[in-house]
Amino acid sequence: MSVAARPTTASPATPTRESWPLMRGAPTDAALTDHLLAPLWRASRVWWLLFGLSTLGTLLLLGTVTYTVLVGIGTWGNNIPVAWAFAITNFVWWIGIGHAGTFISAFLLLLNQHWRGSINRVAEAMTIFALVNAALFPVLHLGRPWFFYWLIPYPATMNVWPNFKSARPWDVAAVTTYFTVSLLFWYLGLVPDLASARDRAPTRRRRLAYGVFAMGWRGSGFQWERYRIAYVLLAALATPLVISVHSVVSLDFSIAQLPGWHSTIFPPYFVVGAIYSGLAMVLLLLLPLRRAFRLHDIVTEAHLDAIAKLMLAMGLMLTYSYVIETFMAWYSANTAERYTYLTSRPFGPYAVAYWIMTVLNVVSPQLFWWRRLRTNTVVLFLASAGILVGMWMERFIIIVTSLNRDFLTSSWHIYIPSWVDWSILAGSLGLFGFLFLLFVRFVPSVAISEVKSLRIELANSPARSGHA
Amino acid sequence: MPNEDDLTRRSFLKALGASIALAGLDGCTRIPAEKILPFVTQPPELTPGVAVHYATAMVLDGYATGLVVEAHEGRPTKIEGNPDHPASLGAAGVLEQASLLQLYDPNRAKRVRSGGAPSTWQSFTTAMSPAALRQRVGARGTGLALLLEPTSSPLIASALASLQTLYPDMSVYYYAPLVSDASSAALTADGLVPQYDIGAADVILSVGSDFLAAGPFHLRYARQFADRRRTPLTGMNRLYVAETGFSVTGATADHRLRCRSAEMEALLEALLDTLAAASANPRAIPGKSGMSFSSSPWLTAVADDLRAHGGNSLVIAGERLAPRVHALVAACNDALGSTGRTIWYTRSPLLGAGRAKTNMSALAEALHGGGIDTLVCIGGNPSYATPASLGFAAMLKRVPNSAFIGLYENETARDSRWFVPAAHYLESWGDARAYDGTYSIVQPLVQPLYGGKSAVEVLSALAGSRSADPRAMMKESSLNAGVARDEESWSAALRRGFVPGSPVARVTAGPRPELLRSPASTSSAAGSIEVVFDRDPRVHDGSFANNGWLQELPDPVTKLTWDNAALVSPETARRLAITNGDVLLLRRDGRTLRIPALIIPGIASDAAIVHFGYGRTGAEEVAKDVGADVYQLWPTLGAFTVSGVLVERAAGTDHHDFAITQSHWTMEGRDQARSETLDTYRNEQRGVAPQGPPSSRRQLTIYDPPQRLESPHQWAMTIDLGTCIGCSACVVACQSENNIPVVGRDDVAKSREMHWLRIDRYLEGPAEDPRAVTQPMLCQHCENAPCEYVCPVEATEHSPDGLNEMIYNRCVGTRFCSNNCPYKVRRFNWFDYNAHLSETEQMAKNPDVTVRERGVMEKCTFCVQRIREAEISAATAGRPLRGDEIKTACQQACPTNAIVFGSLTERDSDMMRRREESRLYGVLSELGTEPRVRYLARIRNPNPKLEDGR
Repeated sequence: MSVAARPTTASPATPTRESWPLMRGAPTDAALTDHLLAPLWRASRVWWLLFGLSTLGTLLLLGTVTYTVLVGIGTWGNNIPVAWAFAITNFVWWIGIGHAGTFISAFLLLLNQHWRGSINRVAEAMTIFALVNAALFPVLHLGRPWFFYWLIPYPATMNVWPNFKSARPWDVAAVTTYFTVSLLFWYLGLVPDLASARDRAPTRRRRLAYGVFAMGWRGSGFQWERYRIAYVLLAALATPLVISVHSVVSLDFSIAQLPGWHSTIFPPYFVVGAIYSGLAMVLLLLLPLRRAFRLHDIVTEAHLDAIAKLMLAMGLMLTYSYVIETFMAWYSANTAERYTYLTSRPFGPYAVAYWIMTVLNVVSPQLFWWRRLRTNTVVLFLASAGILVGMWMERFIIIVTSLNRDFLTSSWHIYIPSWVDWSILAGSLGLFGFLFLLFVRFVPSVAISEVKSLRIELANSPARSGHA
Repeated sequence: MPNEDDLTRRSFLKALGASIALAGLDGCTRIPAEKILPFVTQPPELTPGVAVHYATAMVLDGYATGLVVEAHEGRPTKIEGNPDHPASLGAAGVLEQASLLQLYDPNRAKRVRSGGAPSTWQSFTTAMSPAALRQRVGARGTGLALLLEPTSSPLIASALASLQTLYPDMSVYYYAPLVSDASSAALTADGLVPQYDIGAADVILSVGSDFLAAGPFHLRYARQFADRRRTPLTGMNRLYVAETGFSVTGATADHRLRCRSAEMEALLEALLDTLAAASANPRAIPGKSGMSFSSSPWLTAVADDLRAHGGNSLVIAGERLAPRVHALVAACNDALGSTGRTIWYTRSPLLGAGRAKTNMSALAEALHGGGIDTLVCIGGNPSYATPASLGFAAMLKRVPNSAFIGLYENETARDSRWFVPAAHYLESWGDARAYDGTYSIVQPLVQPLYGGKSAVEVLSALAGSRSADPRAMMKESSLNAGVARDEESWSAALRRGFVPGSPVARVTAGPRPELLRSPASTSSAAGSIEVVFDRDPRVHDGSFANNGWLQELPDPVTKLTWDNAALVSPETARRLAITNGDVLLLRRDGRTLRIPALIIPGIASDAAIVHFGYGRTGAEEVAKDVGADVYQLWPTLGAFTVSGVLVERAAGTDHHDFAITQSHWTMEGRDQARSETLDTYRNEQRGVAPQGPPSSRRQLTIYDPPQRLESPHQWAMTIDLGTCIGCSACVVACQSENNIPVVGRDDVAKSREMHWLRIDRYLEGPAEDPRAVTQPMLCQHCENAPCEYVCPVEATEHSPDGLNEMIYNRCVGTRFCSNNCPYKVRRFNWFDYNAHLSETEQMAKNPDVTVRERGVMEKCTFCVQRIREAEISAATAGRPLRGDEIKTACQQACPTNAIVFGSLTERDSDMMRRREESRLYGVLSELGTEPRVRYLARIRNPNPKLEDGR
C-alpha cells in the first residue's frame, strides 16, 4: 500500500537553495491516509523491542518512586546545602523539552509557517509526555508528597491559602495550565485523524475505540469550519504560554537571592533554553520515526533545515545569556557572585559538567551554519542528543553549583547523586519512551488531515511545491 | 514469664510513679520510702506539665560538677549547670549534658550475670558475702582486691573504711586512663593539685593545657577567662599557648606556638632561665635537654610579658604532661611570684591520690604475682582502657573470682565472672568533691531503670549488709562535710546540691627540686614521629562511646564525627606523602595501630594526635565499629606523649571516608567571622582609625523598613565571638532541649546532620600555623527573612515578637526555604529519624517541643517553648515579663556567657548593652536580611613585640 506513496519523480541529487519541497510526490489522499495509518495496524519487531525496554524503564521508575515515597527523599543524594538536585533538574529539563510542541504547533501556526503541519503531531505528543514526566518531580521531591495539593489555591476550611509571594504556586498554576491547553490542543488536532482511523480500522473493536475518541467527526464543511476556528483560538491561547511557563519556572530560581540564581536574565534565558532543548528532542524523535515509517516524502530536508536553523538561533541566544550572566557576576563586584560564576562553576568540583554543558550547548549548534550539515541526519541526531545532554547539565549546574557553595564557606558541601537519583532519571526516560511508543502505535504520528491540506495547498501554488 | 530485671513499660511506669511520689506527693496512698528535694522551690504538689528542677552532680574522673536537672513528670529531660556550684557556675559541658542520653540508653546492662548464665543480685550478694568470701580470700582479705574509678566521695571512703575493718589486708586500686598523677607526683608525695584563678591573671602561658575545655574545673576557668575579655578595652588578658595538637584553648590563644613535648621542656627551661636571671637569686636548672630556646623571639617576648605582670601572670601545665614539665612550670610560677596569687596548691580530694600503691601498675603487678583471688571492679572499663601491652584483659580472665559492676556489658564485663548492672548517677545516691574540694551531693531523679546498683550498695554488700540504705548513709556522710544533723540543713543541702564553704585548704608547697633532675624527654629519631595520646573531646576515654549525641557532635577542632583519626599537620602529611583518609600504620614496641590520617592545620610538625575512646568491642551498639582503638598502641600507663613511633602508609589502596561537618576552612576573602586586634579596636574607639566592622545600623536602602512589629518584646540575640571558645556545649544543649535527632554516620557524611546550632570554625593565615575564629551559627531570625517569602505554603512565618517561626504541620518539604537561607541553618528530616527510638530513648525527649516527622523542615526557634512558658507564667502572676528572664538553652549551657538573649525593647538589658559596641555586626547583613542575631567581632590581644600575631 505504501508503495503508492513513493515519489513518482526522483528528488534531485544536489539540492540547491530554495529547492527542498515541503512534500515530495503527488500521492492521493487515500494513499496518504493508508500510508500514515499503517503503523496503527501492525507493530514491528523493533517496536516490540523498544517497547519492552521502555516498559522496564517505567517499572524502574515505579519501583524507585514507591521506594522514595515509602522511605523518604533521604534515599536521594540531596543534603543541606544542596536541597534541590536531580529532581528539580529533571523537572526543568522535561518542562523545557515540553516547550517545542506548542512552539511548533501554535506559535508557528500563527506565524503561518506551513512546514509545521508535517511534524506538529510528534512535537505535541512529545510535549504531553514530557509534561507528564515533568509533573512527577515537583510532587515527588516534596518531603511530604501526600500534601502536594496544599500548593494549589483551593478554599480550605482553615482559610489557608498558598503563599502567592513564592514562585512555587505560580509554578504549579503555570504547568497545569500549560498541560491542560497542550492536551486540548493535541486532542483537537487529533480528532479528524481519529475519524480516519475509525473509518479504516480493520476490526470492530478498533473501530469502536477510535469511534469513541473521534467524537462523531464526519468531516462536514460545518465541522471543519468550527474546527478551524477552535484550533486557531487554542493556538492563540497556547502561544503566550510558551513564553510564560518557563519564565515562571525560572522564577523558582531568580526570586531567590542565591548567587547563580539571583539574576534578571533568567526568564528569557530559560525560555530560549527550553525551546532549544525541545527542538533537539523533536529531532531526536523525528529522525528515527522518519526512517521507520518512511516519511521522507512528508518530512523532507526542508523541515530538518528549518528546525536546525531555529536551533542555531536558540543556541546563539543561549550563548549570549551565558556570557551576560557571567559578565554581570563580574561586573557586580560581589564576592559570592564572582566566586560562583568565575571560580566555582568553571574550576570547582562540578567543572566537568560545566565544560560539557558549554561545549555541547555553545559549540554544537555552530555546525548548523553549514547547509549541508543542517540536513545531514547523522549530524542532526548526534547534535540533538548532545544538546539534550548539555541542557540537562545546564540545569544541573544552575541548581547544584549555586547551592553547594553559597555565602558561608562553612556550609559548603558536595552533592553526590545516589543510585535512586540515577534510577529515577533513567526511569523517567523510560516512561517517556513508553508513552511515546504507545503513541506511535495507536495514534497517527503525522497529522494526516494537515498533510492532506498541505498537499492541496502546494498543488495550488506551484512556486512552493518544488518538484511536485 | 518476662524476666523481672527487664524494663517493661509497666515497670518503668511503676518506677516513675514512685519517683513522682517521692518527689512531693507525700499525701499519696503509697508510703514514700525516701524523699528527694527539688532545687529551688518544692511545689505543694507536682503539676503535670510543669517541669521540676533538682540539684545533683555528675562525677567525672573523680571530681564533681554541680548540675540542675529538669524533670517532667518524674523523668529527667535536660541537664543544666548549677549556677552556685564552683565547678559549673551555671554552665554544663558536653559530657554532663549528654549523660542524660546515657541514662536512657537501651544498650545499658539489664541483668546480673554469673559466668555465662543469668543470675540475680541475691546470688551475687550471697556469693560475695563475708561468710562466703572469707573462705576464698582469707580471714584478713589478703586475696581481695577492689578496683574503683578515681573517686573523691566521702561516702565511698567510709564504705571502704568499714570494709577495711572486715578485711584489713584487702587492697584498693583506682584507675581511669586519663587521670594522671603526674602533676601530683611533681609536687609532693601527698598528691597536691594546682588551683588557678584565671580571672586574676593578666598574662597566661599554657603549656599543653586545654584548661578552657577539659579538666575538672574547665567550665569555671572558661568563665573566668571570658570575664577578662568581655569588655576588651578594660583589662583584657593575653593568652599564649604552646601545644602539640590544636586544642580549644589553642584556638582561643592570642599567640600559639606549635611544639612537641621535648620542645615544651626546652621552652620552659629557657623561660625559667630568663625569669631566674632577672630575679634576685638565679638558680641553675639541672638536667637540661640541650635544646635551646633562649634566643627565640617568641620566648623572649613571652618571658618579658609574663615578668612585666609579675604575680598577675600564670603558667599552666597540661595535666598529663611529664612530671618534669610540672616541676618546671611550678618553678616558673614561683619565679614570677604568682604562686599564692594566680596559682596555689591543695591536697587532691581523690582517694589514694599520690600513693603509688593504689594505681593500676600496682594492681597489674599484684595480678601478675597471682595473689589475688577475688577482684571486684566497680565502674570503668579496664579491659579496654589500659595499654594493650599491660595485658590486663588476659590477667582479669585468669582471676578465679572476678566481678564487674558497670553500666554496660562491655569488654571488662566479658572478661569477668560476675557482672552486675550499675546504677546511673541520676538513679543513685552519692556524693563527691569538686576539684577544689567542695562537697557535692549526687541526688537521684529516678529509681534505677534497669535495677542497677551503685558503688556504695556493692561495697555494702561486700561488707555483708543485704539492704543498704544509701540515702541514710549519705546523710551520715554529709555530717562530716559540715551539714548539720537537723532535717532543715539536710534539705537545704539537697536543694542547693552542695555545701558552700567546703573546699579543702590551701597548702604551701614548693616544687620538688629533685624532679627537675629527672631525665628530659627525648625528641623523636629521624623517620619517626611523636604521638600524643589525648582525651577525646566527645567520648572522653571511651566511657561515653555509646552516646549518639556525643558521637554526632562535631569535634570542636576537627569537626570530625563518628570517628577518630591520626591528626597530622599539612607539612607532616607532605613529608609522609599522605592525603586525608589514607590509612596509616603506627608502630612502636612491636605493636601496630591502623588508623586513618586526617590533615589538620596547626598541629606540630612530625607529630600525630590520636584520641582514646574508639574501636570498642563491647555490647554497645552505637559504639561498635566506630574508629580505631588507640589503647592498642598506648605503650605505658601515664605516658601520654610517646616519641619514636614509626609511621607508614598501609599497603593497598585503603582509603577512609570521614564524616566531617565542615569541609571548607577558609572564608574565601569573605568576612562572616570578623576579628581584629585590640590596638586597632582601641584606635577605632578614639576615632584614629575608621570603624572596622560596620555597626548594626540599617544600611542604605530604597525599601521600607521591615514592618514594625507590635509586640512589647522583640526577641534578639547577641553573640560575642571574642569570648566564644568553640567548646560546643551549646550544640548539645540545643540537641537536648529541642529533641534534635541523631542521624548517624552515613547521613552526617552526606551533610545531613540536624543540629540547629552549629559552631563554624574558620582558619586564617598560613596553612601550617593558622589563627582560628569560632562562630556559633543558628537561625538569625531575619526581619526580612529570605526563607519566608519563598515558602509556597506559608509554613515559615514571622511572629509579632520577631521570631521566624516554623510551622511543622503546614510544611510540605519543598526545601525552598533552605535554598534561600544564606546562612544554611535550616535542617530537613530526610528520613523518619525518630521512628526507631526505644521506649527509654523516647523518655529523653522534651515534652515541650514537637518531635518532627519525616519530610518537614526545622530550625532554631530561639527556644520558643521557653519564651512562651515565661510569658504564661508572667501573665498568670500578673506581672510584666522581663526579656532577660528567659535564657535559651545554648545561652544557659555556655561556659563563657558568649551568648545573650533578650528583647530589643529593653535598652538596659545585657543583650542590648552589648549591642552598643562598635564591633557589633550582622552576618551577611549586606543582603538586607536584617538578622536579629548580631555578633561582636573577636578582639585579639597580640603582643606588639610579636608582629605577625603568632
